[in-house]
Amino acid sequence: MTVNRQTIDTVRARVPHWPFSSVLVANRGEIAVRVLRTVQALGLKGIVVHHAADRSSPAVRMADAAVEITGATPVAAYLDAAQIIAAAKASGAGAIHPGYGFLSENRAFCEAVEAAGIRFIGPTPAQIDLMGDKVRARNFVEKAGFPVAPSAIEDDDPASFIERARKVGAPLLIKPSAGGGGKGMRIVRDLALLEAEIERARSEGQRYFGDGRLYVERYVENPRHIEVQVLGDGQGSVVHVFERECSVQRRFQKIVEETPSPALDDAKRREICETAAGIARSCTYRNAGTVEFIFGQNGEFYFLEMNTRLQVEHPVTEQITGLDLVLEQLCVAAGEKLPYRQDDIRSRGHSIEFRIYAEDPARGYTPTTGPVLVWQPAQGEGIRMDAGIVQGGEVTANFDPMLAKLIVTGSDRDDAIARADRALRDTVLLGCKTNTAFLRRLIAHPAFVSGDVHTGFLDANPQIAADPPLTQHTRDRLLAVGSLMTRPMRDVADSVPDMHAAMGGWRN
Amino acid sequence: MHHAFKLEDQDLNVELSRARDGYRVHIGERVLAVDLRTGADGRAWLTIDGEHHEVVVATRGDDVFVHLDGAAYQLRYRHPLDRLAASLHGAAEDSVRAPMPGSIVAVHVRPGDAVTKGQVLLVMESMKMETTVTAPRDGVIQTVKYEKGQTFDRDALLLSFEPSA
Amino acid sequence: MKRIESRLNTSSAEFQANAAHNRRLAAEFKARQHQARHDRPHRDLERLKSQNKMFVRERIEQLLDPGTPFLELSSLAANEAYGGEVPGAGCVTGIGIVAGREVVINAGDASVKGGAWYPLTVKKTVRALDIAIENRLPVVHLCDSAGGFLPLQAELFADKYYAGRIFRNQCILSKMGVQQVAVVLGHCTAGGAYVPGLSDYNVIVRGTGAIFLAGPPLVKAATGEENTVDELGGCDMHTSVSGTADYPASSEEEAIAIARDIVGQFKRPEKTRIEWQPPEDPYYDASELYGILPQDIKQQFDMHEVIARIVDGSRFHEYQPNYGKTLICGYAHLWGYKVGILANNGVLFNDSALKGAHFIELCNQNRTPIVFLQNITGFMVGREYERRGITKDGAKMIMAVSCSEVPKFTVMCHGSFGAGNYGMSGRAFDSRFLFSWPQSQISVMGAEQAANTLADVKIRQLQRQGKKLGQAEIDAIRDPVLGEFRRKQSAYWSTSEIWDDGILDPVDTRNALGISISAALNTPIGDPRYGIFRM
Repeated sequence: MTVNRQTIDTVRARVPHWPFSSVLVANRGEIAVRVLRTVQALGLKGIVVHHAADRSSPAVRMADAAVEITGATPVAAYLDAAQIIAAAKASGAGAIHPGYGFLSENRAFCEAVEAAGIRFIGPTPAQIDLMGDKVRARNFVEKAGFPVAPSAIEDDDPASFIERARKVGAPLLIKPSAGGGGKGMRIVRDLALLEAEIERARSEGQRYFGDGRLYVERYVENPRHIEVQVLGDGQGSVVHVFERECSVQRRFQKIVEETPSPALDDAKRREICETAAGIARSCTYRNAGTVEFIFGQNGEFYFLEMNTRLQVEHPVTEQITGLDLVLEQLCVAAGEKLPYRQDDIRSRGHSIEFRIYAEDPARGYTPTTGPVLVWQPAQGEGIRMDAGIVQGGEVTANFDPMLAKLIVTGSDRDDAIARADRALRDTVLLGCKTNTAFLRRLIAHPAFVSGDVHTGFLDANPQIAADPPLTQHTRDRLLAVGSLMTRPMRDVADSVPDMHAAMGGWRN
Repeated sequence: MHHAFKLEDQDLNVELSRARDGYRVHIGERVLAVDLRTGADGRAWLTIDGEHHEVVVATRGDDVFVHLDGAAYQLRYRHPLDRLAASLHGAAEDSVRAPMPGSIVAVHVRPGDAVTKGQVLLVMESMKMETTVTAPRDGVIQTVKYEKGQTFDRDALLLSFEPSA
Repeated sequence: MKRIESRLNTSSAEFQANAAHNRRLAAEFKARQHQARHDRPHRDLERLKSQNKMFVRERIEQLLDPGTPFLELSSLAANEAYGGEVPGAGCVTGIGIVAGREVVINAGDASVKGGAWYPLTVKKTVRALDIAIENRLPVVHLCDSAGGFLPLQAELFADKYYAGRIFRNQCILSKMGVQQVAVVLGHCTAGGAYVPGLSDYNVIVRGTGAIFLAGPPLVKAATGEENTVDELGGCDMHTSVSGTADYPASSEEEAIAIARDIVGQFKRPEKTRIEWQPPEDPYYDASELYGILPQDIKQQFDMHEVIARIVDGSRFHEYQPNYGKTLICGYAHLWGYKVGILANNGVLFNDSALKGAHFIELCNQNRTPIVFLQNITGFMVGREYERRGITKDGAKMIMAVSCSEVPKFTVMCHGSFGAGNYGMSGRAFDSRFLFSWPQSQISVMGAEQAANTLADVKIRQLQRQGKKLGQAEIDAIRDPVLGEFRRKQSAYWSTSEIWDDGILDPVDTRNALGISISAALNTPIGDPRYGIFRM
C-alpha cells in the first residue's frame, strides 16, 4: 500500500478548485464505466459520447450526460475526432479522457483537443509521437542507455554484417529483409554455424522474395511479456507502480494479466521497474504509462514498446497498491505534481485479471454474439468486475469482443488463483458464449499454477482451448433442464391424463 | 424418439414424460426422475435422480441457456417436424413448380447459387398478386427455367436443385 | 369404505404351490406373447430393413407419448389358427396415448405374410374399430398391408362382419365425429386404399407409401397401361395431384411425427362424469393373486381375495353381505373410478341371481360402471331349483346385464361355464372390454361332463347296433373328444378366436381395467331402461 496514498477524499481536500468541472469520456464499454466512476466520485460531471448501438450501455446509463455520435460504422464514430471534440464543446466538457484504444494514442486528436482549449487526459503530443513509432522509440531507448534486443541490419553496412551479427549473440534469428510470414527465417543457436545459415537464409530469401538481404536479431526463446506501470507528472517526477506479467496470450492478445510477476525475484523486479521508470523519466513523461519488455528465460529483458495511456490491465496494479490510476491521471492533467516518492509506493498481495471475451476458444477464439439474457457477475471479497455489459443488452460484432474484466486479488498467488476459480465459476452470462470455462481450464493447468508460462504457451497447449467432452452426468442434466424449459416437450408431458401418466410405460 | 436438442454440435434425442410424482426424462434406455424449480433472475433448482443442483437458466426462442457447474451451455431445441423434414430430402424437393399460372416479376438466383431453405428464389405475379417462391430446402440451384416477364402454366418447372447427396 | 381383511395365509403350502403354478403359467403366457410379437422369419425382417421400414412395434413406440401405457388388445389372436403362422393375426391393435389423447391404434404388421389380411386379421381389426365406436376413441391407422389373403377370401370378404365392416366402421366413426388419421407406410391396395381414403387425415411416406385401387401389375393386365408405383399412387402424386393423401413425409419417422401433430389438433372429448376420488394403490400386493388361483379348475376360492388385490386401498363396500352369498356384489374404486363389482363365489342360486339383477339396476341408477369377475360353473340345477324358478331368476339377471347402460368390463378369472357365462356378461353381452386370465376356461359345460355325454351317445348308438364295447374301445371314443374339448375351452383358444380382448397376466388386471374404464367414459351413459323381467 502506498504510504501517502491519494484517495478521492485526500484529493478533494488538497485540490478544492478543480481546473475543469466536467470530463468527457471518448470511449465505450467497461473502460468508459471505469473512468466515469472516478470522475463522478470526485464530484465532477461525467459525460460520454456514444454510438446508437451503445444507447443502452451501462456507461450511457451512468453518465451525467451522453452525446450521440454517428459514423459509417459504430467503430468509425468513436474514431471521429472532430465529432467528439464538437460534442465536448457542446457539452461544456473541460477535459477529455480517451480511455484505451480508439483515439487514445492519436497525436492529431491530442493536439486538436488541446487546441480547442480542452485538457487531454494523457501524455503530450510529442510523447505520443515518440512512443508511437516503434523504430523511433527503440532508438530513443537505446540511446538513453536502456536495453533493447541486439540486432544487426545488413543494409547498414553489408561489409561488416557477419561480424555485427556475431555480436548479437546466440541464439539469434536471421530474417530476410523483404520477408514475411516466417518464410526464410532461421534460428541459430551455435555461432559456428552462423555463416552457413546466413548463406542458406540468403538463398531462401532470393528464392521466396527475389531479395537476399538479411536482418539479424537476438532470439528470445519462450519469452514472457512483462510490463511496468509508470506515472509521470510531466514536471519531472516519475515513479513506477510495479510490474505486470501478461504472458498468457492468444492471437497476440493478452487474456490474463497479473502482478507481481511470478518470474521475478526482488532484485530483478527492482532492475526492470527502475529501467521502466528511467525510460519514462528520460522523456519527462506525463500521464500514466506502461513500458513493455520481452523477458527471456534467463532473466534478460529488452524494451519492446511504451504505451502512453491507461492499459486494459491497469486494475491489477490498483488492487495491490491501493492507487486509483484514473485519479492519478486526472490529477496530473489538472497540473498537480505527484505528491509521493517512489519509496512511498508499496504493494501487498497478488492480483490477476481475466479478460472475459465473447469468443469460442474451441473454434480458434472466434468471436461470438448474442443477447445478454442473464448477467450475474461474481461477487465477494477480493473480486472486482469491470464490465461494459448489462443484462438485457446484446453482444454484437460491432466492437471488440471483450465484455468484462474479472480482477481477483488474494494474499498470495495461490490464494488469488483459488479465488479466481470460484469467481469464474460463479460468473454467469447466458445468451452469448464466453471464454470463462476456458479460463478455468487455463488456471488449473500445472504450468500456470507454477507460474511457468510464456507468450507461446497457449499455442503449444491447444488442448486447453478445446472443449472437454461432456460427461454423461452433465449431458443428462442439461437435457433435463432443456426438456423442462421447452414448451412443446412440456406440453406433451402435461397433456397426458393423470392416470396414464401414473402408469408410466406399462405394457401388457 | 422425436424431440432433440443440439448441444455442442451434436443432436441428442430426449423425451419428457410425467409420472405420478413428477417428470421423467428419457435418454436412450435410461429414465431419470427430474424436477426444476425456477426462482428469480434465472436461478433454478434442478433435481435429477435424487441429486440437487443449482443452475441458472434463460431461454430465447428455441434456445435454452444453462449455467451449470460453473460453465455456460447452449441447447437448441429441434422440433421433430423440422428436424425430421430436414433429415431427408425427397425427389420432389429437387424441383420448384409453379403453384399457379402467372408471370415472372424477378429472379433472385442463378444456376450454381447456394441457397438456404426459405430463401426467396423468385417473385411471380398471378391474379394481380405478387407471390414469392422460396427454397424448399438447402441446396444448390441447378437450372432456372424462366426469365423476368415470361409467363408459365400451373405446375411448370420454375427451378431445379442439384440432387442432394 | 372398509378394507377387505385378507384371510390368506401366504406361507401355507397350498398358497406356495398355487403361486408357483400360476407364475409358471404367467411366464408361459409371456413367452408365447413374446414369440408372437417378435419371432419372425429372418427373410421377412431383412425385407423390411431393405425397404427402410420400421418393425410395427417400433412404429407404435414412436407414435406413443413417451412414458405412457399401451394396452395391447388380443396379442395372441390367431395363435391356434393357420398352423400358428399368423402371429397376432398379422396386426397390432390397442389403446394408447398420443399427444395426450387416448386413441385406438390399428397397425398392420408387414413382417407377417406381408401384412396380408386373414379372416382373424379382419375380425381383430373390426373389433378394434368397434371399440373405437363404442368408446368414441380416435383411431390412428398405421397402414402396411399386402391386401386380403386370397386363398381364404371367402372367409373374410363378404359377410356382415368381414372386411367391409372395417370401412363401414370408419364411416360410422366419422359420422360420430370421432377423428381418424391414417399413416400410409406401405402399399394400400384395393380395399386397403379406403383406410386412408376414409380417414379424416392421412400422411404418406415418400418412396414406400402408395395408395391405389389396383397396383401396376393389375392395371397392366386390365388395360395394358404401364405405370410405376410412384406414378400410379405415390406420395407426391397423391399429395399434390389427386388430393387423396394430405401430408407428404420423407421418412416413416417424419410421418409418425406428423401424425402425432395431427392427433394433437383433435378436440378432447368431454368425459362422462362418474364418482371419482384420487387413486390409491391396493393395500394387498397384486402378485398374491398367483397364490389365490387354484391349480384345479373345479376347486373353489374366495373372490374377496381377488377383489382386494385389484381395487384402490383394497377397500370394498359389500352389498347384501349375508344374502345370495355365492355372488359377491359391492362398490369399490379402481384407479379412482367408482365401480360396481359382481364376482362369483360359487354356483348361482335363485337368491344370488336376484341379488345380481338388483345390484346391476342399482349401478345403472347411480351411473356406476360394472366389473364382472367370472368364476362360474353355472346356475344351480335340479328339481328344487327349477321349482323355485331358477330359470326365470337367471333370466332376470341376463335381462339386467343385457340392458345395462353403464359400461361393463369382464374378466375371466377362472371357470366360465354354461349360462353363467351369459349372466356374468360374457362376450355376447357387449362388455366394453373382456379379458382372460391364462388358466381360465370357457365352455358350455365342463370338459369331462361334455366328453362323457358325447361318448355315451356314441356308445348307446353302437350298443343299439348290437355291438359290445370294452373299456379300451370306450376310451378310444372318449379321449379324442375330451382332448378336443379341452383345447377349445382354454383361454388360448378363446383369445385365438378373439372371444376376448386378450389374455392378461393377473397382476396387469388393475391397469388394464383402469385404461378400459377411462376409455369407456368418452361415451355418455344412457338412462336405464329394460325389457320385461319375468317375475
